[in-house]
Amino acid sequence: MQYRHVQVIDGKGALRGIAVDGNGQLYAAGDSEIRVFDRNERWPTSRPAHAVAVASDGSVYAGEIGQIEIFNGAGKLLHTWRDEKLLGRVTAIGFTKDSVLAGDAADRAIRRFDRGGKFLNNIGKDSAVNGLLIPNGVVDFGVDAQDTIYAANPGKHRVERYTAGGELLGHIGRFDGIDPAGFTGCCNPTNVAIRDGIYTTEKAGPRVKAYDFSGKLLAVIATDLFDANCKNMDIAVDARGRVYVVDTVKAAIFVFEPVKV
Amino acid sequence: MSQDLTRRTVLAVLAGGAAFLVKKANGQIVWQVNASRCINSRLFEAGVEACNLCTTECVVALSAVRAVNEYSKCGRCNICPAYFNITSAVNELGQPSEKLCPRDAIARKAIGKVDPEDPANNFYEYIIDEEKCDGCGKCVMKCKEPLGLGSITLRVRYDKCVNCNYCSILKACPQNALMQLPIDQAL
Repeated sequence: MQYRHVQVIDGKGALRGIAVDGNGQLYAAGDSEIRVFDRNERWPTSRPAHAVAVASDGSVYAGEIGQIEIFNGAGKLLHTWRDEKLLGRVTAIGFTKDSVLAGDAADRAIRRFDRGGKFLNNIGKDSAVNGLLIPNGVVDFGVDAQDTIYAANPGKHRVERYTAGGELLGHIGRFDGIDPAGFTGCCNPTNVAIRDGIYTTEKAGPRVKAYDFSGKLLAVIATDLFDANCKNMDIAVDARGRVYVVDTVKAAIFVFEPVKV
Repeated sequence: MSQDLTRRTVLAVLAGGAAFLVKKANGQIVWQVNASRCINSRLFEAGVEACNLCTTECVVALSAVRAVNEYSKCGRCNICPAYFNITSAVNELGQPSEKLCPRDAIARKAIGKVDPEDPANNFYEYIIDEEKCDGCGKCVMKCKEPLGLGSITLRVRYDKCVNCNYCSILKACPQNALMQLPIDQAL
């Protein structure tokens, strides 16, 4: 599989998280706002936004320090879930069929809530090191169609698979400083997205890759387009297979699409 | 009036200079590395070779400059790029087979609740043996962001530095990365 770079979207300011909805609409979290690119809208958040996700009903969740803000599709604030302890710094949000997941980088865990905001359980917390190993300071994960959660565990150079109840099912990935199939550096991959496979980003040097669900490397999507100093590059994949990656230094979103060979 | 002012200014400068010399003579003025200027530690210098002028230019044996790990910033990673040569072949433990430090001056030990089965499931403490370190800066370059967290920096060790009037490292350093500070303001 090969990809080609098709577009650069100027973020105009800090970019931390991105999401794509079912219609291909791109959202970005950065500064104290959610940006809706094609509609050229900016929805202010009460605190700096670190993550954004779109639920199946079209509501948009913004992850912040100590809280999640929930907007309707028109940008009207509907709810704020505030919990300084469970939502220390929310750097990723995802959904299973019946729950909302929030990556809390302050406590190195994924929190699972019901749709009303009631806490259900932790994911990734039950280990000898008491959480995900994230020296880079970001928890990121994706969810597949069967509600399996794929969490980046960069300190272990793995993407770990969990049930919604928090049981560790296994992992893909290993350290390797030479073989592109492995993850290099101290702590990679930093970010992950799930669609028809597992998509990852790495830092130092920045790299975007695609794996199948067994962990076989399918493609190195890009390496040399990004600023060498960027890290925690959030990634999203739309229904057409287009891959969106944040360059955190250039404050831009790079778009790649698969090429049939 | 203006003559008086000039005289006062000159006297003030002379007094300041004299105070500086007295402090320096008493070991109260010291040389220190400016981490934000040093090419090994300053940010946005990815992919360049480590500078070893602190090793080659210092008049002290090995160098008065040593690498220091600030534990509060250290990620305690399993694969530390300042400890391992991360581009060496992977061994049976899934780790790089070579260390980075040419003088083997960094040791590590698993800390906390240790998992003997899975090295990746542990935190590690990285300890620099300053008697072996010669301040070559290789580990500093690999530790800094974005590859690491920047917990290792180069520092002048005052028990080793002979406090030259004009530091021989500074003479050679293209970044002017050494500076003189009152000891209470130095690291």
